[in-house]
Amino acid sequence: MRLNLVLELLDVPGQLVSVLEPISGLGANLVTVIHKRDSKNENGKIPVQLTLEGEQESLNRVIERFEELNITIIEKDGVINKELVSTILIGHIVDKDVRDTTDKINSLDGVYVVGFDIKLDGEDKSTALINLETDYGKKQFAFDEIAKIADEKGLLMINEV
Amino acid sequence: MKECKIIIMGFGSVGQGIANAISLKKEMINEKYGVQLKVVAVADSSTSAICQDGLDEKLLIDIKKSEGKLSAYPDCGNNMSGIDVLDAVEYDLLMEATPTNIETAEPALSLTLKAFEQGKDVVTSNKGHLAIKFSEVIQAAEENGVEFKYEASVGGAMPIINFTRETLSSCGIKSIIGILNGTTNYILSRMTSEGSSYDITLRESQELGIAETDPTQDVEGIDAACKTVILANSLLGIDATYDDVTVEGISSITSQAIDLAKKDGYLIKLIAEVSQDNLKVSPRLVKKGSSYDVNGTLNMATIKTDLAGDITVMGLGAGSLETASAMLTDVISILKNKY
Ligand SMILES: NC(=O)c1ccc[n+]([C@@H]2O[C@H](COP(=O)([O-])OP(=O)(O)OC[C@H]3O[C@@H](n4cnc5c(N)ncnc54)[C@H](OP(=O)(O)O)[C@@H]3O)[C@@H](O)[C@H]2O)c1
Repeated sequence: MRLNLVLELLDVPGQLVSVLEPISGLGANLVTVIHKRDSKNENGKIPVQLTLEGEQESLNRVIERFEELNITIIEKDGVINKELVSTILIGHIVDKDVRDTTDKINSLDGVYVVGFDIKLDGEDKSTALINLETDYGKKQFAFDEIAKIADEKGLLMINEV
Repeated sequence: MKECKIIIMGFGSVGQGIANAISLKKEMINEKYGVQLKVVAVADSSTSAICQDGLDEKLLIDIKKSEGKLSAYPDCGNNMSGIDVLDAVEYDLLMEATPTNIETAEPALSLTLKAFEQGKDVVTSNKGHLAIKFSEVIQAAEENGVEFKYEASVGGAMPIINFTRETLSSCGIKSIIGILNGTTNYILSRMTSEGSSYDITLRESQELGIAETDPTQDVEGIDAACKTVILANSLLGIDATYDDVTVEGISSITSQAIDLAKKDGYLIKLIAEVSQDNLKVSPRLVKKGSSYDVNGTLNMATIKTDLAGDITVMGLGAGSLETASAMLTDVISILKNKY
């Protein structure tokens, strides 16, 4: 069987070799490699597209090995890996239309609201915790866009470090 | 025998800590570095004690504590203060610990520039002049060929400026992210452990003397923003001033926010971020158990480097003797260089 992977590598000499090396030893064959050196992502890393061929077991071993080596897999057979992030909003969230806030977040490309917890502080301000799933590499984009929404609505946004 | 004649400007918590530290360590310094430290003048806001033969550090502290002013020092007390003191006595090094002022930078700015003109080295714990006129002050020190050190201005006793410059000198610094204000860290830690509201926790901190009567500088993030500027200039070579920092304090943090964060495995901390594209102080979510999970009045900072990866330092960000320790270390490094 075939497996398509998109990995993310540091742009330093030797990185690619160190990734390709374990493959044959684990019983899989490398079919294609596309190394896009000119498309660095926001972490300063470059995506590398691989197609592998082999028994399911060998392919699983390759993936395990990559994980051991702390290599980020962005995409597996066309499915994009997700990152989970959280943010907190404080302010007149209810008055400023909660539904509209979550709709606006959901309409962002590659950003999905997967959890929403709100606490009211009497008549006063309320606080919401929003759990998000973002496509790999879209985290900063999500924070930047939500910051704009929060700003429009006069909400304080507390982001992850 | 070599001698280093010192003036201490500002005799509050830090100034008295300096006197205390000198009295505790001058023998060790003499033995190890062959230089005798001698305090020749000490000044508060309106009076001073001046004696070319040296003052007694312990007596200075006793007098300031019991009489409230230095003019009461036997024989050497007088009503001279501020910049005039720099002309009244022969000295080698100014240790400056007057109040931080981020509007005018005074009295630190004039005192420091005057000492430079006189060819004297300066060690400071003050943030005001550094936050609004960093490059001007550094340039003046260079032009006059004198040493200027300010380790204590960021993080009190926590090593960061000298540590990064000297111990990490092989590395490029990508960013520094940290908790640079002990008061707000205390308030947020208490809100987390007690579930109490911001207002109640602030009041409790004021009663304990951790927060000041006017807590604005701390809780609105101003103090942390000054430190952000100092780190940006000194360690990342960013020519920034206070106005370049985006600042959000902790006064609108609700106990509900802390609760929700906790349920999700996070804590809320006032975080300073220093990088080429971000100079920012704001409340942020940090993972429980991460290196940012530091409680009470402690400060911490993670220095992200190109060669060494991430390095985290932690320590007491304030305190009389603690802050003075950083200043005395600065003095020692000047002694090693010049004496
Ligand atoms: N406290 C800390 O743990 C800590 C930590 C790091 C950095 N710092 C910085 O260190 C500096 C000193 O802090 P501190 O806590 O010691 O403050 P403090 O307790 O308020 O003491 C300030 C001292 O400066 C004197 N002073 C005021 N105006 C003066 C002037 N024009 N000329 C000479 N002396 C003057 C005051 O005189 P009077 O005694 O007559 O009022 C007082 O003795 C500040 O810049 C602060 O930001 C403090």
